[in-house]
Amino acid sequence: MGTLTRERFEQGVTYDAFKDAMTRNRERIEANEARLTLSADDLAAFRGSRPLHVMALAADWCGDVIANLPVLARIAKESGTLDLRVFERDQNADLMDQYLNQGAHKSIPVFAFFDQDWNEVGVFIERPDGVTELRARKRREVFAAHPEFGSPDAPVDQLPEDVRARLQQELQKMRDETTERANSEVVRELRAIVEGRSTWGGARQREGTAGGSKTA
Amino acid sequence: MGRRPTEGRDGRRVQDRLSPPLKVRITYCAECGYEPQTLELAGALMREFGDRLASIEIIPWEDGTFDVRVGDRLVHSMRRDGGFPEPDSIKTAVREALAL
Repeated sequence: MGTLTRERFEQGVTYDAFKDAMTRNRERIEANEARLTLSADDLAAFRGSRPLHVMALAADWCGDVIANLPVLARIAKESGTLDLRVFERDQNADLMDQYLNQGAHKSIPVFAFFDQDWNEVGVFIERPDGVTELRARKRREVFAAHPEFGSPDAPVDQLPEDVRARLQQELQKMRDETTERANSEVVRELRAIVEGRSTWGGARQREGTAGGSKTA
Repeated sequence: MGRRPTEGRDGRRVQDRLSPPLKVRITYCAECGYEPQTLELAGALMREFGDRLASIEIIPWEDGTFDVRVGDRLVHSMRRDGGFPEPDSIKTAVREALAL
């Protein structure tokens, strides 16, 4: 379980300040922010939550940050119950080291939720397992529909450049088509945390891919 | 003093320069921010082997990829082997491929 003081928390920046400091992907993060649809039921649940502080570890190059941080930010803005501060991953090793994925990987984003007495009440790391599984399944479907892409497990560097470019386009299309479902999963996980129903406390020990991603 | 017949102007053995062109290809996950590790490895190979390598190709990809291919051989795959390779292990693979 992570520890955080008010003084340390207040060293983080607001979401808007984080966006102002981005060197890339600002258009993508704002598009994802605008694209999110929050149901009345979800919004009511977040608005009815006790006030919480949320420490977010992020970086502007990370796809999962670009996808999931704007979801949290929209919820924080529209609910008024979440006090969000963002910390750049590589400039805040003391925080990152408390939230290593499987105890080893610097996966981001990390969203750590604290009550008014700075007790940690839940943690979200990287993305929900349901999103990983959904995208893995859809990825397999892309390969099955395009024999020219070869095996989904084969290194892509062996593909001719034009085929590789088409594969990249198909994967991007797949990600776009699954964004709405992925956002729903993220909202569901965040709602579970604020309602005290989260299983994410043990997420840091969960199994993942060899080597992990977002690890440096 | 003249060069020995087996040496080029740079003193390197002519046989080295006659080895088949060897390509190294690094495929890395751009959305994971693996640029530092990619550049570190590419730089280490450039410094160590110079023009003994025909090319070092860098391919930005996704999916948590960090693959290194030396010639036809995939000598490191993050998915298969986990983590990043030690530059020394890649140098060893290149030396073997160059028969140095």
